[in-house]
Amino acid sequence: MKKFVLLLVFTALSSSCVVVKEYDKVYLNDEEMVLSAKGSERFETNFQIYREAAAGANGGKSGGGCGCN
Amino acid sequence: MPTVVNLVVGVDVINKLIQQIVPLTKFLFSIVFLFSLIGLAQDDNTNNYKKRVLETAEIDLLFSYYNQDGQNAAVSGGEGTEELTDATSSIVVKIPLNPNDILTVDAGISAYSSASTSNVDPFDKNSIRASPFSASSGASQSDALVHFNPSYEHSSEDRNSVYSAQVYVSSEYDYFSIGFGGGYARLFNEKNTEVAASFQIFLDKWIPQYPVELRDGFSDSRIMGIGTYNPAFEAFNDETRNSYALSLSFSQILSKRMQGSIFMDVVSQSGLLSTPHQRVYFGDTNDFFIEDFQLADNVEQLPGNRFKIPIGARLNYYLSDLIVLRSYYRYYSDDWGITAHTASLEAPIKLSDKFTLYPNYRYYKQTAADYFYAKETAVSNQDFYTSDYDLSAYNSHQYGMGIRYKDIFTSAKVFTFGLKTIDLRFGKYDRSDGLNSYIFSLGTTFVGD
Repeated sequence: MKKFVLLLVFTALSSSCVVVKEYDKVYLNDEEMVLSAKGSERFETNFQIYREAAAGANGGKSGGGCGCN
Repeated sequence: MPTVVNLVVGVDVINKLIQQIVPLTKFLFSIVFLFSLIGLAQDDNTNNYKKRVLETAEIDLLFSYYNQDGQNAAVSGGEGTEELTDATSSIVVKIPLNPNDILTVDAGISAYSSASTSNVDPFDKNSIRASPFSASSGASQSDALVHFNPSYEHSSEDRNSVYSAQVYVSSEYDYFSIGFGGGYARLFNEKNTEVAASFQIFLDKWIPQYPVELRDGFSDSRIMGIGTYNPAFEAFNDETRNSYALSLSFSQILSKRMQGSIFMDVVSQSGLLSTPHQRVYFGDTNDFFIEDFQLADNVEQLPGNRFKIPIGARLNYYLSDLIVLRSYYRYYSDDWGITAHTASLEAPIKLSDKFTLYPNYRYYKQTAADYFYAKETAVSNQDFYTSDYDLSAYNSHQYGMGIRYKDIFTSAKVFTFGLKTIDLRFGKYDRSDGLNSYIFSLGTTFVGD
């Protein structure tokens, strides 16, 4: 799994020089391409925060605000 | 699958929720309408057109129904029913105050009915024979959590900088939380790259509800066991819990069809991190019962500090006009000895301009906390112990499906707001320790004219 993360970091850094112009972002601007958890997933994330020890790195609460783990 | 009893309890929970939510929703629609008029009036004072960060006010109405069952309730020391039903309703209102600023108000109420927390007091006179595998009718059987979370977002004129601030307040019968936070995001490289940093601070307070047999003055002639029931219990002195979180993220466009992001949180918590009503049974003390319910030897004891580091990544790929691939991975580690891996994949399928399907799958795996002990395996001279199976080693699979209806012409109206989207989702969650749950959620988005 560490290799996967390293590969992802490497891919991101190595291609950071690629610039996609605004007029070429029609696919990237699609609502399904958003790089965060969607609003409709919030309740699923909520119960996962209660039922699982791990939380965070998902754009939501990562600790505090509830009597959960 | 839901039993008849579950459904009756669920309908009751939902009815209570609707009674509280409907008047609130009408009121908020009116308030948003007034704010929208103010926003439009401000626009009339300027002659230069500038694209707004948010064109019109938006209202999201969200609802969920959650049901779980299992046999490892932490309230009864790792053995007992975990049956729980929760109905949550939230409203999220986004108001463009001017071309650069957005005010968002997120408010909601979550009503739940829990068999395990009802067993904080399992000896309620109205209940059937006391047992960890049945619910009592005690005061802690059901409750509601309310939350209020306003936030403010400001974008720079060139839209390359975004500042945000937020406040969070929530309350339930045994827990109160107040929090605040702020963030900054910077886009550059022709908006191909984004870096962001934010922080959140929560200052929480427990109102402990200890198991009834551990409370001062408890006595019951039905206690059975060898010797005298005299648990080594002391109430917690510190009832506060503070959490400090720093979040960092880096997002990058990788090609015309692919983009990804990497994010990391650093979280420090201190204070009362134990849950005061979760029982523990030791292996080196005598057992005492009332009817079929074993009396607590103590409540769980966990360290007063915890340091967590979750690191996550997303990679989205626009495969075709029919399918998009959305992937997510997270590695988690904390100083209680828990490591966890989370991986999920969602593949939105665009059936038409109006309908999209969302098949999704999520896998989760964690190791046990150093302080986790199954029932009667901890001993009384240890400093820290818990029988909360949420902190045990397990893995889980979640399968889900969603469907979205989108009407870009917003032909259905409520006041002056048009219905833009309806999202319906279902998820089934199976954990290797036997806990199972399912969740329905419904979301609707209305936009102002």
